[in-house]
Amino acid sequence: MNQRLARLLISAYPHWWRQRYGVEFEALLLAESGGFGNLADVARSAIRERIISPNGPDEPAFPFGLVATRPSAFLPVAMSLMALSVVIFHLFVYGIAREADEGTAAHIWQILMAGQLPLLALFVIKWLPRAPRYSLCVLATQVSAALASMAPVYLLKL
Amino acid sequence: MRSTRRVVNIKSDEESGRYSDPPLLVLASLANGPKHGHAMIEDIAQMSGTKLGPGTLYGAIARLETQGLIEALPAEDRRQPYRITAEGLHVLRAQLNALNQFAKAGLKRLASL
Repeated sequence: MNQRLARLLISAYPHWWRQRYGVEFEALLLAESGGFGNLADVARSAIRERIISPNGPDEPAFPFGLVATRPSAFLPVAMSLMALSVVIFHLFVYGIAREADEGTAAHIWQILMAGQLPLLALFVIKWLPRAPRYSLCVLATQVSAALASMAPVYLLKL
Repeated sequence: MRSTRRVVNIKSDEESGRYSDPPLLVLASLANGPKHGHAMIEDIAQMSGTKLGPGTLYGAIARLETQGLIEALPAEDRRQPYRITAEGLHVLRAQLNALNQFAKAGLKRLASL
C-alpha cells in the first residue's frame, strides 16, 4: 500500500487512536497490500473506533443522558409535539374542513416546524461527530416527532 | 441460459473450519514470543488459516492493550512489537480450555450421529 493511501485511511480514525497507533499502523499498512479487502477492513475498523471509543479507550464516550438533554436535542422534539398539538386542537375545534386562507394555527405550525431546522443542523454539526450512536438515536426521535406532526396535515390535506 | 438462482454456495471444509476471534488469535500468536503487527498477521495465517486485515488486527490489539492482556515493547524502527502479559496468558489458557471442552462435546455428538 502506498504512503498517501495509508495516511488517508489513518486519518479516518479518532484523534487519540492516531496519536497512539498511527506510526506503527502506517508501518504495517505500508507492508500490506492495498487490495480492496484491506481497504474495506481498515475503513470498517476506523468507523468502529469512531463509534465505540471516540474519545479514547479509558475515557467513556458521552453518556446518552448528556446528549439527549442538550437543548438542540430535545427542543426540536418539543416543537414537533407542540405543532402536533396545534393540529389536533384545530381539528377538534374546526373539524377537518380545509380553509381557503391559512389561519393562525397554520402559521404557528409552520413557524414551529421551520424553526426547528437550525436547531437540528446545530445538533448534527455539534454532536454527531462526538457521539455518533447516541446522536443517531436522538435524530431518529426528532425525525419521528416531525413526521408525526406532518402526517395529519398531509393525510387530511389541511 | 443456465439459471444461477439455485446454485448453493457451500464453503469448503478448510474455509468453513477457520477460527476467527481476533483477540484470541492475537493472544495465541503472542504466546510463543513478542511480535509486531505484520509478523502477527503472518503467524495467525499460518496457525489458523485466518488472514486478519490490518484494521481488525489493530482493533484487537487496542482492546487487548486496554484490558492489560498484552503490552507494547520498545519500538523497533517504526514497528511496534507486543508481548502477552501474565494476565493475558491466564485468559488465553482459560479460553482455550473452554474451547477444547466445547470442541470435545461437539465432536462426541457428531460421532454419535
